[in-house]
Amino acid sequence: MSHKTPGQLLYTNEHEWAHIDGDIATIGITDFAQSSLGDIVFVELPDVGRVVDQNETFGVVESIKSVSDLYSPLSGEIIEVNNDIESSPEQCNQNPYDSWIIKIKLSNEDEVQSLLSSSDYIDLCNELS
Amino acid sequence: MNLKKTSLFEEHVKLNAKMVPFAGYSMPVQYTSVKNEVYAVRNNCGVFDVSHMGEFFVTGKDAISFVDYLMTNSFASVPMNKAVYSPLCRHDGTIIDDFIAYKLTPERVLLCVNASNIEKDWKWITSVQNEKQFDIELINSSAEYSLLAVQGSKTIENLEKIGLEIEHNLPYYSATEGHFQNSLVIIARTGYTGEDGFEIFIKNEMVETIWKKLIENKVIPCGLAARDVLRLEVCYPLYGHELSDDVLPNECNLNWTIKPEGRDFIGKNSILNSQQRSKLVKISLDKGIPREGYPVTLEDKTNIGVVTSGTMSPTLNKGIALARLNIEKFDSTKPIFVDIRGKLFPAKIQVKPFYVLGAK
Repeated sequence: MSHKTPGQLLYTNEHEWAHIDGDIATIGITDFAQSSLGDIVFVELPDVGRVVDQNETFGVVESIKSVSDLYSPLSGEIIEVNNDIESSPEQCNQNPYDSWIIKIKLSNEDEVQSLLSSSDYIDLCNELS
Repeated sequence: MNLKKTSLFEEHVKLNAKMVPFAGYSMPVQYTSVKNEVYAVRNNCGVFDVSHMGEFFVTGKDAISFVDYLMTNSFASVPMNKAVYSPLCRHDGTIIDDFIAYKLTPERVLLCVNASNIEKDWKWITSVQNEKQFDIELINSSAEYSLLAVQGSKTIENLEKIGLEIEHNLPYYSATEGHFQNSLVIIARTGYTGEDGFEIFIKNEMVETIWKKLIENKVIPCGLAARDVLRLEVCYPLYGHELSDDVLPNECNLNWTIKPEGRDFIGKNSILNSQQRSKLVKISLDKGIPREGYPVTLEDKTNIGVVTSGTMSPTLNKGIALARLNIEKFDSTKPIFVDIRGKLFPAKIQVKPFYVLGAK
């Protein structure tokens, strides 16, 4: 089954996407992730102002039958969270790339190089399918 | 690990089901959406492949008295064709499994057991036969039989559409033998979803025909995830979660299955003389989703128990769970909480199942 993987985004092995705009990264979960999880019923958001390291857990996404950690693709300070996701978590299923979860002000822009391109991420998803 | 496959494995793959290892089988956990599959059963009709479950036939002169001795519930006293649910206990009262016995004829009983316990149950049941010299023959037909659970208020219409003759007046928790295209089928008005519905025991070679006809008639294929949510909404216990080798029936809300009057059964003395150490409660949360293994606490974080099964209920749109509480630590006047990743969420204990309509 093919999943949407927009070319302008970067990806992680843990199935988050990141949109980089200067030193701000907008982060959500991928189409592959939402499809694997099934009906998403809860997203636990972090506090604004929290500083996270790359690959650190920053929240939780729950489907009817499972609980999965969310990992920060990059290091930095969480400057904004998407409160709409809390009240309508199903948006992550419907529009995973419009349903951002957090925005981070990057503390180490070099880390962006470690993220996967869309073609690398498609390969990863194909291996897992 | 080499996983076993049910006769419908290829059909599940064709329908893009997510297959997961379960009790040694590769089983469909969901096809499209757990929520939609739950709604299909609650509002219309869904079909589950539960062919991994075990079927033992008990035949012979003592078939009924043997099964009656095997279970805490009374089997000898119920009319012909009835089905009886019971825990299967050891002499010390601990639970080996739970099962349903179908009284097909005076000398033929079908036992349906959990897939994960087939070997354990078979070993136990044959040992009981040897111990007591019942005049019976035991046959483990688990490998030859498939089982479909067709569940929901529109089940009868759908089964008739595919040419399966259904006795409309068959009481809930009863079974009858019939034919489907010259193949013997056992049709039981049972299930584990809380809805009206039927379970169809059929030889492996015929199951694909029935399955395909049901799917062609728009019956929704449902996976194990939906089945687990549905049974939890009606608070049915599940072996490996609420029931286990370490607990007694009265610690699992199964007092109603203990029928000691005028009969002997395995574990009777232990069960009747046992001290209850824990109790199973039904809890719901306005916020937060309880999951198996999460601690249940008092306000000061004193641990008083654990969630045995928990989920987000699509039907009620809130977190629901069964939880095992330590009798000594539980105080019904004090509020209780579920510890979800270190935060305490208030939980309400309720008496009735979360969902009570449906099954007749």
